[in-house]
Amino acid sequence: MLTIKRALYVLAIVALVLGAYGFWSRLAFGERDVNYGSYVNWGLWVAMYLFFAGLAAGSFMLATLDYVFGIPLFRGTGRYALWASLVTLPAALLLIGLDLGHLERIWKVYLQPNFSSLLAQLVWSYSALFLTAFASLVLAMRGSRRLLRPVMSFGLVLAVFVSGGVGALLGVNAGRVSLHNAMLPAQFPVLNLASGVAVMLVIVGFFGVVGDSDRRARLLRVLGAAMAVLLLTKSYFLWVDYSQVLYSRVPDAVATAELVLFGQYAWAFWILQIGLGIVVPMAVILWPGRARTPIVMGMAGVLVLVGLAVGRTAIIFPALAIPELDGLAEAFTGPHLNYDYTPSLMEWSVTIGVVGLATLAYLVGSDRLPFLKNSPEVAS
Amino acid sequence: MNEYPPGPRDDGLSRRGFLQGALGAGAVAAITAYEVLAIEADPGNLESGPAFSGPSSALTSGGDQVDVLERMRVELLRALEKPAADRRWVMVIDLRKCVGCHACTIACVAENKLPPGVVYRPVIEEEFGTYPNVGRKFIPRPCMQCEVPPCVPVCPVKATYKNEDGIVVVDYDQCIGCRACLTACPYSARTSDFGTTYGEGLPVVAGVIAGSKVAGRYEKIDTFEYGTARSREPGQSPIGNARKCHFCLHRIKVGELPACVTSCIGRATLFGDANDPTSLVAELIARPNVSRLKEELGTQPRVYYLS
Repeated sequence: MLTIKRALYVLAIVALVLGAYGFWSRLAFGERDVNYGSYVNWGLWVAMYLFFAGLAAGSFMLATLDYVFGIPLFRGTGRYALWASLVTLPAALLLIGLDLGHLERIWKVYLQPNFSSLLAQLVWSYSALFLTAFASLVLAMRGSRRLLRPVMSFGLVLAVFVSGGVGALLGVNAGRVSLHNAMLPAQFPVLNLASGVAVMLVIVGFFGVVGDSDRRARLLRVLGAAMAVLLLTKSYFLWVDYSQVLYSRVPDAVATAELVLFGQYAWAFWILQIGLGIVVPMAVILWPGRARTPIVMGMAGVLVLVGLAVGRTAIIFPALAIPELDGLAEAFTGPHLNYDYTPSLMEWSVTIGVVGLATLAYLVGSDRLPFLKNSPEVAS
Repeated sequence: MNEYPPGPRDDGLSRRGFLQGALGAGAVAAITAYEVLAIEADPGNLESGPAFSGPSSALTSGGDQVDVLERMRVELLRALEKPAADRRWVMVIDLRKCVGCHACTIACVAENKLPPGVVYRPVIEEEFGTYPNVGRKFIPRPCMQCEVPPCVPVCPVKATYKNEDGIVVVDYDQCIGCRACLTACPYSARTSDFGTTYGEGLPVVAGVIAGSKVAGRYEKIDTFEYGTARSREPGQSPIGNARKCHFCLHRIKVGELPACVTSCIGRATLFGDANDPTSLVAELIARPNVSRLKEELGTQPRVYYLS
């Protein structure tokens, strides 16, 4: 809808303006004004990197429904999913790049990599995914479907690999009892698929993109059903994660779970992740009747994305907020030596700016790129 | 009375009286001076270290009157004569002797010019028991220099690795600052340098308070970590890097004990080559009251605690 698109343009530009302070501060003063530190050493930016990387991988997965599996209902949606993947992946990499102490040395990961490091594997794989998504878009624009299928099949494998790899990046830390969880690499591909479906709900719900309204309604119904299944799966993951930990009574693990469920981050978990991110979208999707308009379905997609973003933070901060050695927090104090993490204004600013940048890039691309603009199905 | 044995080569020399003791101490001073002169004459390559060809073994003849620091220093010099791969640096911390003065923490900060928020050797304080039976324990926590360090394989650019001495080091010019090693370390032994300074925000009153500009000069004094003189400039390493205890490698290479060892007022922190069966640390880590942090992880720390 035109009004929604205009509103999104305005929101994206406002977000970019709000982000200007953060970008300036980061580039002028480095990481001086961040609140993450040496104990909670990964903060909001890493969580949002996981989120955006999930969007990119998930959107790519959704694009294969059109270009690899050729599902008729999804015909015409692949290019938008690909474009979403292409704008969210740089957003993820920008966030993780700004999180680096020496961004200018990132070339070393390409030229002097340590392939036993999951991080190095991921940098290479994300780069390959980006190139694959870009090549796929070019091939789709040229209508080379014969080449497109193998290229995107390879990309699908990459998308699943990077999804699991991010889970493993956290899970391999055996010293961190609440991160060392073999479920993470298994969960992340599913959560990323959920991200992809949510993105598609937003795209189809807000912008139409497929021709007739009947097909759009059917597509939204199918996406809604898939979303419901994935949200139930996510709920199950949350249940097994926390119920097992609480039942185990291993103090460090329990402390982390309690931080999320009843402590400092409980409001985010119950209100944002469970309430807005699962319950409300489920209610919308399962609600019978005409109230389930495309716009409402698009809104449900937005809420799912909020829940998934908050879910990433719930994996990162609390796990790092429990001292590895009792008494360490008091042993030596100073800036960035804190287990009580709340993102700084500058961190929020950068995050909002990156969200604005990705949104604006998607909107401008869908309006200006002939391949996307000239789609007969674009609703206005 | 020195609780630690004076070393196997004393052979009762400690009982030969004050004169011989004094002679021994004189020999220590003379040889120390000789070695200092040798270092000054060839300050050169700290990477390879100067050649210690002096008769260091003679230093052990001080008997139990000799400060344990001297014994360890002699053993250090002896170890330096061996190929790097043949020695195994080990730190032993006697928790019964640590009084929680934090001198080691401060000595480390001063030695390595650590900025605020960067710490290599915090001392954890633990209170236990129930009144009236209450006790306190102080646990210094340097880098454990694990035999199997979880921080090494996670580094995407091989910036952290075990050097030829088996010490886990960080190549500041290679590190990209991703902090994956901080997450991987089970002991939180790494901190990241976020570029903060002690003088930040200091008021300036001309002629009265010097302010951050003047104070900042101190903060830019070279650090000699890893044997390289390095000033702390904005945007330059080690700002933005992971930093950690390295057993004062730069001191070891010139025959000096780590700063935390020499500054320990209770002689609770001991250091040496565990591959030398006659060394103090080799004796101590064979005792039954020795333990290591999180031993169950299998990282095999080179830091041992006596309790």
